[in-house]
Amino acid sequence: MKVRITIAAIGLTALVAAGCGSSSSTTTSSGTAASASTSNKCSVSVGVEAPITGPVAVLGDEQLAFAKLAVQDDNKANGTNITLVQGDTQLTPSIATTVTQQMISNSKVVAVVGPAGSQEVEAVGPLFGRAGLPFISGSATKTTLTNGSNPTFLRVVSRDSVQGPEDANFVIKTLHPKALMIVDDQEAYSTGLVDSMVPIFKSAGISVDHESVSQKVTDFSSLVAKVTPQMTVVVLPWQVAANAQQFGKNLASQGKKVTIVGTDGLYSPSSFTINGSYVSSFGPDITAIPSSAQLVTEAKAAYPKFGTFGPPVYAATHVVDQAIASVCKSGQTPTRSNVLAAIKSTREATSVLGQPIVFDSHGDLIGAKWFLFHITNGKYTLVTSK
Amino acid sequence: MAVEPQDPSIGVDEWVARQAARREYAPGLRGQAQRQLERVGWWPRLAIAAAIGAIIPQLGLNGFQLQIGINALLLAILAVGLNISVGWAGLLDLGYIAFYGFGAYGFALLSSNQLNQPHGIHLPAYASIPIVMVGAAALGVLVGLPSRRLIGDYLAIVTLFFGEAFVEFVNNVAPTKLGGPNGIFAIDPVQAFGKQITTNQGYFYLLLVLLVLTIIVLHLLDTARTGRAWRSVREDPLAASMMTVPVFRVKLMAFAFGAMVAALAGTVFAAQQTSVFPTDFETEMLILIYAALILGGVGSIAGAVLGAVLIEVVYEGFLRSPTEAGYIFYGVILLTLFVKLRPWRRLALVLGATVALGFAMHAIVKAISASAVAGGPQSSGWIADALRGWVIVPANNAHVVPTQPGNIAFVVLICLLIALVQVKGRWRTILLVPTLYLAACVWEWRLVAEPSVTRLILIGAILIVTMNARPQGLLGKRRVEIV
Amino acid sequence: MRFFFQELVNGLTTGSLYALIALGYTMVYGILKLLNFAHGDVFMIGAFIGYFVIQWFGGSSALTIPVPLLLLIMFVLASGGCGALGVAIERFAYRPLRDAPRIAPLITALGVSFFLENAALLLWGGSYREYNTSNFIPFSTSVHIGGVNIYIVQILVIVLSVILMIGLRLLVDRTQLGRQMRAVAADREAAEMLGINVNFTISATFFIGSALAGAAGVMWGLVFNSIWTYMGFVAGLKAFTAAVVGGIGSISGAVLGGLLIGLAESFITGYISSTYTNLIVFGILIAVMLLRPSGLLGRVALQKV
Repeated sequence: MKVRITIAAIGLTALVAAGCGSSSSTTTSSGTAASASTSNKCSVSVGVEAPITGPVAVLGDEQLAFAKLAVQDDNKANGTNITLVQGDTQLTPSIATTVTQQMISNSKVVAVVGPAGSQEVEAVGPLFGRAGLPFISGSATKTTLTNGSNPTFLRVVSRDSVQGPEDANFVIKTLHPKALMIVDDQEAYSTGLVDSMVPIFKSAGISVDHESVSQKVTDFSSLVAKVTPQMTVVVLPWQVAANAQQFGKNLASQGKKVTIVGTDGLYSPSSFTINGSYVSSFGPDITAIPSSAQLVTEAKAAYPKFGTFGPPVYAATHVVDQAIASVCKSGQTPTRSNVLAAIKSTREATSVLGQPIVFDSHGDLIGAKWFLFHITNGKYTLVTSK
Repeated sequence: MAVEPQDPSIGVDEWVARQAARREYAPGLRGQAQRQLERVGWWPRLAIAAAIGAIIPQLGLNGFQLQIGINALLLAILAVGLNISVGWAGLLDLGYIAFYGFGAYGFALLSSNQLNQPHGIHLPAYASIPIVMVGAAALGVLVGLPSRRLIGDYLAIVTLFFGEAFVEFVNNVAPTKLGGPNGIFAIDPVQAFGKQITTNQGYFYLLLVLLVLTIIVLHLLDTARTGRAWRSVREDPLAASMMTVPVFRVKLMAFAFGAMVAALAGTVFAAQQTSVFPTDFETEMLILIYAALILGGVGSIAGAVLGAVLIEVVYEGFLRSPTEAGYIFYGVILLTLFVKLRPWRRLALVLGATVALGFAMHAIVKAISASAVAGGPQSSGWIADALRGWVIVPANNAHVVPTQPGNIAFVVLICLLIALVQVKGRWRTILLVPTLYLAACVWEWRLVAEPSVTRLILIGAILIVTMNARPQGLLGKRRVEIV
Repeated sequence: MRFFFQELVNGLTTGSLYALIALGYTMVYGILKLLNFAHGDVFMIGAFIGYFVIQWFGGSSALTIPVPLLLLIMFVLASGGCGALGVAIERFAYRPLRDAPRIAPLITALGVSFFLENAALLLWGGSYREYNTSNFIPFSTSVHIGGVNIYIVQILVIVLSVILMIGLRLLVDRTQLGRQMRAVAADREAAEMLGINVNFTISATFFIGSALAGAAGVMWGLVFNSIWTYMGFVAGLKAFTAAVVGGIGSISGAVLGGLLIGLAESFITGYISSTYTNLIVFGILIAVMLLRPSGLLGRVALQKV
């Protein structure tokens, strides 16, 4: 018995050692074989960092699906051979550091889409900067990320400093509440928005009840019972649309007539459909853009319940794919530096976000718009945009 | 490190049995190796292990591998600290992660701009680390206070509350002082011997030195009165108290020392990451520490270190990339077969039948519909190349929509595995063949396409299998609990 | 007053669900001295089974069978399925570790938990699924007491939980199987020597505990609407807390613990502050544990040398 264990252990170690030793040579040989067969040098990898498992897997799952979709579409359209390398961060910055190191050490990775959370970007920004690896996020909205401390960072969504005040001013001007409740979900995205909105409400003379629940809570009856008849508006800058849906249902079951106002995390035509609500977003309803009809059909087949986290990642991945393709077309081998340069000089006239994609020198999207939707009969209708 | 008795037998006391077993070692090569190892002595063994550790960064590893090394060393320090309360003193401490977080946040607050803005407090590391450790010891005593009245699982739950309360506290209370969900950034790196440590290599060496120092201190504690007191409290607190062991004080010491070790790890963690967030200290990290400790063997320092290194290298290092996860997958299956299937004839029969079945099925399915085998294994490397003609993998399997047949195959595989446990004898051998083939197919077809999710499924399976095979952990001793 | 009643009903609903899951924990602990951390994930699987039953019969807005029949099928299938899953887990993961020190099955349970959560993630994806109960049981079907609207589903959950708990109590106190369970819990080797089939009894315990968790999963989906693959982790942790606070091994204790936690959460959110709810609940529970070191209704273990 013990002889077997020893033999098995020795054999296994030999196997793994042989494998490790030969895999590096095999991958290069299979790599060259593949590239010879597709006759281009565009056989690189793009990393995706998202919370694929863990408590916010609902977001990461959607982001990953859309990233895969983008790579699939772009490979077909451009004839490239881009592969996706997944990095699961579980929205935890220390794990994001490990995953980022994995991406940096993988010489085939020329760009990374992600990470999803603003905290993660702050934790790994210096690493990406030192490695010169471009990273483009579809959901990190914290304002200070693009103040120059992260030279290789770009994003396709707008900043918290835009969304918070716009939403707050809309509420004050259009809904005229005397009192309102604003609930944060104890994540950085949410508290950042609350911090930007509460002073505006207070200076307009509205009495604000600031509550806080964890993202893991799925029942809000106790919180809803605290909504007084004076509060006609509840502001929910949350990330998980399904939770907001449940909040709305709790409101209905307790007979409270309140308007819910949500930020872009709630934008999900399949998950959040409480009639009478307002939801802001960075992109127009992609189901209404004719040029993205094909994407919508594919997306509905692949990931029926998508919301606001998928399409920006699609756009970001598309930007990366196009950059790689343009580098390959000009005859060079994609490296981190030339892909970074190509991404920074992206000029797309239109995108799935319904607007052109051009980046400013800090990495923000120029002309990022803000849209506000109203939900009637379960459908999202555009109210205003800036 | 004596040989443990093979089976605890009724009527034979564990200590007596161990003495008896000490006179006889395992036969053959293993016994020889054990005897030689025991002659070496504890200190030389530590020196050898430290030397191996010191060589590792010189092997030309890349940033990711060094990061894994750093994580492994951090986990090892944590596991060694947890071993004090769980292994030596027998107290289940489910709030251990709070001490780690306390250490990290303490260091962060003392070495950044967070408090006393705008300049902040920037104590040098040799001042802030001892302060944090003393604070952690006080916190450990606080958490241990309920142990006067609570025992066993009731104490565990109270420590769990403390652990969760820490994360809640740091996330929600005083966001301007403690950072809230935004955490604390721009933490100074550690300054040692006049130089700032900013590279991964530097932190690796720092952690190695700290781990060795911690192990030395704990070993000295363990072989002294304190260690004996902990062991007696673990085995039978009532008898210990009657032997004038100050049980409550001993328990508090266990908590305090564990807290100090965790805080030490926390400070270096904060310095290396240069930022701390509440989500770094959630229950998932606690589970990892426990897995490392129990897998390695509760009660043994070497076991804790080994378990931590194994878990970190396998879980974070290997399982993150599809190719290397494949090595682990096939490796573990083959290892289990080698060890469990006897005699040799049966093993050869099963392996041969599986290979034959594979080729047969591949040929049949190919004849029926070519697209059903058009997709190849998705990982790269020599294993995948070898398997190309053997597994059935349909085309279009890598893409966005998870295929229903793939899911069904996965569920069928799980049912087959459960059935395998139920049946016995000849039927088990027969059922093994299609199960193995289906496992390889499902792996290449469905599981490799989702490496992040598969990673967790695989670690769950590895934990189940390893604990069933060796409940005492790799380097643990088989204990008989007299309840 | 109206506010008080609303919070009371909310607390009772959540508390009953925690209590049901806690019952499974406490039963398994009583027999095997094992904390089955995978229990929360069995609860999650039950919720998903209920969801798939709804989808099978046309989806929440276009049901092809009457609602009471749908509910019956959901409960039966979820309980049965989860019970079978519990038995399989015991057979596969815990049986070989029956005589090992208690810390070993802890890791096995965690391994099973990882496996279940992520297998579910692999099979069904990460998005939240909705029961959309209000489509087939409208909010208007509610009872009005003291100015408070109590949704009929909440009443269903509370009543059903009470029935199940009473049923379990009767099972353990009055039936042969219950006697066997108590005997095995007291002293496994002696029970075996008395001719009790220990393996069967343990499997039966797992079956019943997991079936209760499955039923709790369906109820959770009905009341709280959204289910997803990680819901078991949080609910399991709360139920585990409830089981311990009530006194592990005591069925009435688990019920009391669950209700205590549910009500505490509800009232603290309502009356004090939602930000510090968890912290205050922890504080209350620590105080309870310090006052009653063996849990609320736990038996004080006699210490022998």
